[in-house]
Amino acid sequence: MKKWITIMALVTVVATAGCANTSTSSNGNSNTNANTGTNEQTDNASGNAGGGKAVELTFWGDWAGDGQKQFQTMVDAFNKSQDKIHVKYVLQQDLITKFLTAATSGGAPDVLLWDRWRTPLYAPKNVLHPIDDYMNQDGLNKDDFYGEALKELTNSDKLYGLPLTVDARALFYNKKLLSDAGVTQPPTTWDELEQAAVKTTKWNGSKLEVAGFSLGDNGLFNMYLQQAGGQMLTDDGKTNFNNEKGLAVLNFWDRMLNEEKVYKVGFEQGLGEGTDAFATGKVAMTYNGPWMLSTYKKYGKDLDFGVVPPPAGPNGDKGGVMGGFGLVIPEASKHQAEAWEFIKWWTANKDNALLWAKTSLNIPGYKPALEDPFFQDDPLYKPFLDTLEFAKVRPSHPGYSVMETEALIPNLELFQQKKQKAEDTLKKAQERGDQQLADNVDVK
Amino acid sequence: MSSMGKLNKHQARMAYLFVTPTMLLFIAFTIIPVVMALYLSFTNYDVVSRMEFVKFDNYKKMLDDDLYWTTFKNVFFYAVIFVPLNIIISLLLAMLLNFKRFGIKLFRTMNYLPTLTSSVAAATVWIWLLHPEFGLVNNLLGYVGITGPAWLAQTETAMLSIIMVTLWQSVGSNMVIYIAGLQGVPDYLYESAKLDGATAFNRFRYITWPQLRPTTFLVSTMAIIGALQMFDQAFVLTQGGPGNVTKTPVYLIYNQGFNQLKMGYASAQAFVLAVAILIFSFINMRINKSEEPIV
Repeated sequence: MKKWITIMALVTVVATAGCANTSTSSNGNSNTNANTGTNEQTDNASGNAGGGKAVELTFWGDWAGDGQKQFQTMVDAFNKSQDKIHVKYVLQQDLITKFLTAATSGGAPDVLLWDRWRTPLYAPKNVLHPIDDYMNQDGLNKDDFYGEALKELTNSDKLYGLPLTVDARALFYNKKLLSDAGVTQPPTTWDELEQAAVKTTKWNGSKLEVAGFSLGDNGLFNMYLQQAGGQMLTDDGKTNFNNEKGLAVLNFWDRMLNEEKVYKVGFEQGLGEGTDAFATGKVAMTYNGPWMLSTYKKYGKDLDFGVVPPPAGPNGDKGGVMGGFGLVIPEASKHQAEAWEFIKWWTANKDNALLWAKTSLNIPGYKPALEDPFFQDDPLYKPFLDTLEFAKVRPSHPGYSVMETEALIPNLELFQQKKQKAEDTLKKAQERGDQQLADNVDVK
Repeated sequence: MSSMGKLNKHQARMAYLFVTPTMLLFIAFTIIPVVMALYLSFTNYDVVSRMEFVKFDNYKKMLDDDLYWTTFKNVFFYAVIFVPLNIIISLLLAMLLNFKRFGIKLFRTMNYLPTLTSSVAAATVWIWLLHPEFGLVNNLLGYVGITGPAWLAQTETAMLSIIMVTLWQSVGSNMVIYIAGLQGVPDYLYESAKLDGATAFNRFRYITWPQLRPTTFLVSTMAIIGALQMFDQAFVLTQGGPGNVTKTPVYLIYNQGFNQLKMGYASAQAFVLAVAILIFSFINMRINKSEEPIV
């Protein structure tokens, strides 16, 4: 019966969203009016600067808990730094759905926390406001930001936001487990990784006690493929992994998982932060991002760990996948100029970007901030900065994420459990993937 | 006669008055959304910028969509195991707890408790219970020398795990329905059967089971609908994995609509699902009607 209610709720959402949309067609004009009106309001705001009221900005994000506090710190600092603009952070658990509804029916925020890979899916729908003019007007240098991160915020030659954080996976290793197993140096190549994993793995009968290396995340295929010298997509938007490079990745996985048994399918599934397998010494090496540093540091002496850039593939190719968040301005915002001031203050100012980094332990997308000793002298950040030098963002094809989650990963799962051969896996993933990419290429 | 007519008219008017609020809510939150969804299923609606009429494109596309039919296969497999087990277990529990004894209410409550927990919270707890190395289930199996599988991560056991968890959560409420049904069976039937020397099994076969037919119809219909609409447990426990073996139609619809913004296509899929549910409910009705209760 509960499910009935779920379905009804779903249908209702569809319907209300539908109603919202029909009203947009008439609202479309008023939206553009609002945009042209923004300039007037900006003028007013600057005219009023002397004694007028501050412009209220709404900033939406889906970071709760610690993340919310970190955002609040930055928002407070910005509000204190000047008296023309006042920003309020609003936590939205279901960020994208809420934003879409707001974008079409009013009540849109002025600044939005943006998971960057979504750009190619949403930018063509004209829900985000391009910031190129602001960039030129304020003379910001694009080279100060990670090029790949900007690339991920760009669609049809328009830039839609600035990077707030950049991240990439690097190899975390448990120093104690490695040295106990006689591994003196953290691995730098696939071979070394494999050997270290074999040495650190401990089985007790049929029970896996320590997994040498985590193979739990199939989503990292992209990174492995780069290390094998491959690319996920061809230039004309087709899958590009059904070849000897994709095969090299699968054989590498298969050897470690099914022959050397350094991992077991499902070993980490469902373990939350408190029982993280790496933190509790159940996994000796794992790929993870800088966001885990603060968690692992909490364990102090109990968890002696190091980080190295991802090991290189058989031909010495390096590979990493960059991700992270940006800040964008919705097209429906009524205070776009003020929103830009806030974004610029936060993401394109050395001191503030550094304050953000120290508050949240994230790596900011603004390179000048990274020259600070806070990053350069920290042995745990250095490997991430090194990785970010060669890391690539995910392909900016609107169908990419669908292809990955629906065509590639299910087939990889079947492969890992020996339900299908490597060749068949790649072939099926290619067929399904190409179809998904073609279906999703047209966004508008 | 005329006064009867007047009374009837009055009663009819009052009846309409009383059903109006419910009907308004029903229209606003059920009928209109359903009609909207039907219309959307013929468009390429994407929530944000487009809503063009595309005729039967969505339905044509569905024919070639292997994944959609895979999800149907998955829920049929689920239903074939889940529905009979659900009926058997909840009926057995109901017969077990249908006596008037001291403390029986405590046991009824305990059996009903899983129903009260939120399905998402319960599923989260089950993820831990089913963990291959540290989970309670495999630890217990370990005491008798069995190495349990990675329940949720292996293709062989993922759907069985979901069946197990959903059974655990749904037998409680069906047990209550069956207890109510059992208490509606007139005692004189059992008494006269006993006088005629009917065994306990025969009393169940020829009195209890036929008398409970309407109850079974209700329970099985709800179970079939629930099975075809399975979403929360699959979403929390396995995210449709591994290798799509636990992906369900509703999960797919949710993904299409809210993550890929193909609301038009998702609506079309939802409609086909609704028709499928209707068909299976009718089949179920036919089967149950073939033997009418005696009284």
